[in-house]
Amino acid sequence: MEEQAGIVKLSSRVSRRNFLKGCSLAAAALGLSEAMIPKLLEAVESAQRPTVIWLHFQECTGCTESLLRGSHPDIGRLILDIISLDYHETIMVPSGHQAEKSLHDSVKKNDGKFVLVVEGAIPTAENGIFCKIAGRTAIDILAEIGPKAAAVIALGTCASFGGIQAAAPNPTGAKGVQDLLSGVPIVNLPGCPPNPVTFLGTVLHYLTFKRLPNCDKMGRPLFAYGRRIHDHCERRAHFDEGRFAEEFGDHGHKNGYCLYKVGCKGPGTFSNCPVARFNDVDVWPVSVGHGCVGCTEPDFWDTMTPFYERLPEVAIPGTGVIADVDSVGRKILGVAAAGAAIHAAAGIAKSKLIKKDKA
Amino acid sequence: MTYEIENVWSVLLRLFHWLLVLSIIALVVTGFYVNTPWTNTTLEGGGSFPMATMRYIHFVAGYLFAAVVAVRLFLYIFGNRQERIWGILPFTPRNFRGLIANIRYYSYISDDHDQRLGHNVLAGSTYVITIVAAIVQLISGYYLLYPEVVFWQGLGNAIFGSQQQGRFVHHLLMWYFIFFTFIHVYMVIWNDVKTPEGLASSMINGKKFKHKNA
Repeated sequence: MEEQAGIVKLSSRVSRRNFLKGCSLAAAALGLSEAMIPKLLEAVESAQRPTVIWLHFQECTGCTESLLRGSHPDIGRLILDIISLDYHETIMVPSGHQAEKSLHDSVKKNDGKFVLVVEGAIPTAENGIFCKIAGRTAIDILAEIGPKAAAVIALGTCASFGGIQAAAPNPTGAKGVQDLLSGVPIVNLPGCPPNPVTFLGTVLHYLTFKRLPNCDKMGRPLFAYGRRIHDHCERRAHFDEGRFAEEFGDHGHKNGYCLYKVGCKGPGTFSNCPVARFNDVDVWPVSVGHGCVGCTEPDFWDTMTPFYERLPEVAIPGTGVIADVDSVGRKILGVAAAGAAIHAAAGIAKSKLIKKDKA
Repeated sequence: MTYEIENVWSVLLRLFHWLLVLSIIALVVTGFYVNTPWTNTTLEGGGSFPMATMRYIHFVAGYLFAAVVAVRLFLYIFGNRQERIWGILPFTPRNFRGLIANIRYYSYISDDHDQRLGHNVLAGSTYVITIVAAIVQLISGYYLLYPEVVFWQGLGNAIFGSQQQGRFVHHLLMWYFIFFTFIHVYMVIWNDVKTPEGLASSMINGKKFKHKNA
């Protein structure tokens, strides 16, 4: 096939040079020293490839789609050489009963040794009937397979925190893996989608050190989620120097100024997007002129919206009023001022009346 | 009618009050700028850093705010009779009756007033609520300032859930302080007009005038 501009061929054949490049990139993403790269290579090249079982629950397969476009290494190399991916509904050959068989065979054979990757939230309302695979609910499948895993990687915001499905009013009762599974080490790789480099880095860390990487308080690995987007943003200088895009397409936007005033959530979002970037063409939302929407944070669909405003809106219960904080604040202050004026007027009127009575 | 002068507020409390005023003004002004920068530099290479400067002032004022809130907490326990916390919370029968009397007095229902040398119970309780709000404001502020520090991350995540929620609470509480300041100034002026005890100046010279008991 002739390679067209912008289209990267998917191939499982990777040269030694590209393989080393991929591992070095992952080592850099993990923050490992150069001296660790041989150890990492050794772990990757060893015969014992870890078995990975990949479960899809309530999701859009976007995390898998993103991984398919990864190239350090590409998906073929990842599946054939680095891990043994025994079950993955999107890319596996078997289907139906055969697929179920390969899942159960693999779980039985690798009991307590395999890495479980979960993509998608788990609906818990009404006994979880909103997501069923092979006639069983997502809750059942996770409860059966989860405790047998050596470690669990919750891939994507849905598997980590519930994601978009868990947005209010959360009709399906969607939850992340950490809310339903205990006793097994769990690492969250939120993002919509998370960067393939982050996933690969976590897998390689597990291969090299036989444990999951160090995490923050939300169970996200520090190598990828240790800093806020804002702190590594290429537009940060514009922020500090007070140069902002006021609206999309204006002078500031065309000149690459800070997107803070058009609702960028970089200051509240932990991710390595500005550093790792996406799809081998070194882009990420802010680099192409769109603010961060905060997809790696819990409840981002509820707390990061409106995406083009700085802060969530205030809903005043019982009134149906939904407005931005500052306009509500100004109105309340106006009511308070009116109240004070009435209070003062009442006081004056009362003292006048008392004087009149006395007179 | 004769009056006598009573010493009411210690120097430390007065210092607390005016530094709190200073820090709140600085924090609200710079806080509004940080949230909605009202300037926009269109010249590049001007060498001005409005956002960085405003943030710097905000953080310095935040530390001042933290220090004076700590002073008030100290005075709640170790201050003089008027400053200690148990005299102003409506949890004793006498203070609860005082609170009801204050509310009736403030709404012109009754002219009977639960006179206290220091804060009346209604005002004092409001100040305690404000100090609690100040502590929440400080926690959310340090959570936003030091998001990578394990202590603040753990505390902030537990209380607010995420950075964005912490920022939202921080912004809402700013409006509480604006609202409180407005009502506070109005009520002080109102009391100063109604009662000749010299309430407004007591926060400057620490003294109030009281009826001399014959």
